[in-house]
Amino acid sequence: MKKRTKTLVSGSLAAALSLSLIACSNGEDDKAKGSAKDGELSGEVTLWTASLAGEPFDTYFKNIEKDFEKLHPKLDVVIEDVPQNEMEQKVLTSLTGDDVPDVVNLNPHYMSNIAAQGGLLDLTDAVSDETKDSFVEGPYESGMYDDKLYALPWYLTTTVSWYNNDAFSKAGVSELPTDTKGLYEAAKKVKDATGKPSYFPVINDGNTIMEKMVSIANGTPIVEDGKAKFADNKDLLEFFEATQKMYKEGIIPQEAAEGSIKTGQELYMAGNVSMLEGGVTFLGPIESGAPDVYKASKAGQPLNADDAPVNVAVMNFAVPAKTKNEDAAVALAEYVSNAENQLEFAKTAGTVLPATKKSLEDDYFKNPGDSPKAFGMLEASKSLSRAEVLIPPTENSADLRTATKNIFIQNLQGKLTPKEALKELASEWNKAFEKSDEKVTF
Amino acid sequence: MKSKQNSKIWLYVVMLLITVLTVGPFLITLFMAMKSGSEGIYTSLLPKDPTLSNFVTAFEKANFGLYFMNTAIITAIAIPLNLLFCSLAAYPLARMDFRGRSVVLALIISTMMVPFQLYMAPLFQLAGELGLRNTHIGLVVMQVSTAFGIFLMRQAYLRIPKELEESAYLDGANRFKVWYLVVLPLVKPTLVTLAIFTFMGTWGDYLWPLLNSTESSMYTLSIGLAQLSQNFDGSNLKLISAASILTTIPTLLIFIWLQKYFISGATDGAVKG
Repeated sequence: MKKRTKTLVSGSLAAALSLSLIACSNGEDDKAKGSAKDGELSGEVTLWTASLAGEPFDTYFKNIEKDFEKLHPKLDVVIEDVPQNEMEQKVLTSLTGDDVPDVVNLNPHYMSNIAAQGGLLDLTDAVSDETKDSFVEGPYESGMYDDKLYALPWYLTTTVSWYNNDAFSKAGVSELPTDTKGLYEAAKKVKDATGKPSYFPVINDGNTIMEKMVSIANGTPIVEDGKAKFADNKDLLEFFEATQKMYKEGIIPQEAAEGSIKTGQELYMAGNVSMLEGGVTFLGPIESGAPDVYKASKAGQPLNADDAPVNVAVMNFAVPAKTKNEDAAVALAEYVSNAENQLEFAKTAGTVLPATKKSLEDDYFKNPGDSPKAFGMLEASKSLSRAEVLIPPTENSADLRTATKNIFIQNLQGKLTPKEALKELASEWNKAFEKSDEKVTF
Repeated sequence: MKSKQNSKIWLYVVMLLITVLTVGPFLITLFMAMKSGSEGIYTSLLPKDPTLSNFVTAFEKANFGLYFMNTAIITAIAIPLNLLFCSLAAYPLARMDFRGRSVVLALIISTMMVPFQLYMAPLFQLAGELGLRNTHIGLVVMQVSTAFGIFLMRQAYLRIPKELEESAYLDGANRFKVWYLVVLPLVKPTLVTLAIFTFMGTWGDYLWPLLNSTESSMYTLSIGLAQLSQNFDGSNLKLISAASILTTIPTLLIFIWLQKYFISGATDGAVKG
């Protein structure tokens, strides 16, 4: 009943918002451009960042405001922060009225959802080729939807593996595993030595397992033209078998059935797991919440083959379709995401990588220091060349993620055999692709 | 005698268990908030070197001064307006006979079943057109006249003997005077209950204040808390705990202050339908 109500509510909400957006998209004539006729930018331009409130970001954005206003004296730049989880809802709601921001900081999922409803400006022709070429390919591709450019990449993190070196030393494990067999062996040794669970497979809302599946398949598409092709994939079967076995043997903790990175962080902080995969920002709460565990933390490449694709999590800048100051909005998006400002932002944040080629050449990323966070950043920058958005944005992504989460958990708990789980998952994915009629390959 | 003593012991055991279950999480949060920077949050329950620095940092980092002021202002607007409008709207529904009274009541109550997400977009548009964007009054449009409040007040009015009002009419009082001087003082506990509910609803309201504020200078405490917990670099649980405690303190104080009215008022709805 609860699920039905939720579906009804979200369905009605999507319909209501879509209708409003369609109505809004006819209002092109009403669009009052803020920029002056002589080409000089003027008026007000508003940018919303996602969960970047407080220092050191406040100072960074104040400087951005000041510098951009210096370049365009007739322009007033306003930068506000919005909690990340509500960003999509807030942007969609604002699009139904007239108080629309001019530039918004979105992740690719939010971006594609809003773009699919006609809420974002197509930047394909608005941005110069030189700007387009300045970005690393994988992150740049994350701004594409339906072969059009809707967002410029800003900052990113790639997946790395984190482990507690004290626990690994105690178990005599000196190298991180690079395949499922090695993962089981290393995790078992650590569990035997510490007496505690050792490995936490991050599930989140199912997306992390989907990305893991693409990495494990290592070049073999798991979906081809909208058809799931992994039911007989031996590597994936091995992973499903190993995780089920580890859960049964207590190598994976019971809490893994919940699967969020936050749960993983809490268990890692409490010393109740010693190895998992996550972004560089993973260590943020560990540093303040468990200083000893933080000091013992080391980073490595993801727990897959050396040449396996790695997922990149990108945050980008998009311009809402109802912006009243289109030229200034595009100019500001380009300015904030240029190489110089991206480098400065990465230094300010301390745990992210820039998406521009030039900033990545800076010495800061080659010799980041010797703190655990710096090791993470070094590992992340090493894998950037094979990093890409592993799961392309699709209309049915919510269905795919939900099915993956539910079936992976049933597999963990032994409610399905690994073979049944893969078969069931392939069937659910096929149903979702048939419903949305999408012919994607990944 | 012995069995009476036994049952008393059991009663205390149950009460102790309930106290641990309800107060326990609050105390854990408090202890977590008092742990120093070098201390792990899971290493021990009690802080080894208790400090209040997390409260100071949380206060500064989450811009709590400004957000506290905004929250206090909107709460101060919402409570009297909701009490006024609900007690006025409920009176005719309880005491006046007019055609369609039950339909009006059913319509009001049915609005409680419509999820906010369904009408937030038109409400956002309307608030913009009425010039309520980024205003304190705009942040509480949801709280200034609630269906729940109208229902609660109506139930309270139904408990008052009609004879009291009739004798006031005989003494020459008009309808407004009867409502204001006779009926309203008799439903004071319900008014206090409604005030507490409005306080809690407004103080903790998150989504609407966030949607209706396009300037962060209008953000409220719950938005500040979300900003802190959704920090891009992961969340600092000691700071979040401190911020949660800071946010909760006013609610606790109000509840402790008014709790004697709360229980009697809260049961009003259950007496007569």
